[in-house]
Amino acid sequence: MDAPFREKIAWIELVGMTLAYGGYFIAVELAKPPILTMILLFAAATAVRLLILGGGYLAFASASRTPADERDRAVDRRASSIAYLVLLAAMILVGVIMPFGGETGPRVANSALAGIVLAELVRHGAVVFGYRRGWRA
Amino acid sequence: VPERRLTNRIRTLRFLADEMTQGDLGTAIGVTRQTVAAIEQGKYSPTLETAFRIADVFGVPLDEVFQWERED
Repeated sequence: MDAPFREKIAWIELVGMTLAYGGYFIAVELAKPPILTMILLFAAATAVRLLILGGGYLAFASASRTPADERDRAVDRRASSIAYLVLLAAMILVGVIMPFGGETGPRVANSALAGIVLAELVRHGAVVFGYRRGWRA
Repeated sequence: VPERRLTNRIRTLRFLADEMTQGDLGTAIGVTRQTVAAIEQGKYSPTLETAFRIADVFGVPLDEVFQWERED
């Protein structure tokens, strides 16, 4: 794969986060475990994500890691600004709207986590898009 | 406002400069080989500073490297 280092890492994050946190949210939604189990499950999901990410860094770092150049920074800026809107919408939903619907406790917490994960997925997806297709100025 | 797009002659200029590689050009202007490829393909518009650096490497004016053309 002759892609920039940061695009490769974005792909790894997309796959790693989808597998790890997708598994977590499905398990929590189906099993509705107690809070302690939920926390342990989330820690396990985060460990899986970090393992996958660490493997990616080990696989690609020595061969293709270079300091970020202006295009890397431009792609990152654009992706972060798109993801910010997703995060903002998610936090409004979780912090402002959900409490009025009677939602409390773990469900609100998991919704907030889901919003953060979704925003990160959007950011990494936008990074991949930025490198693959580019944006016209 | 008429639609315009940025085009460039970097591939030609590299050929004329003893088939300079994208990597060598990238090193000379401080970006990665992939960024040079993206500029050549029109996927990324470089900053003005990098555009001037490219022109400087080939020893030509900026408008011999980049053109601002109408889209048909």
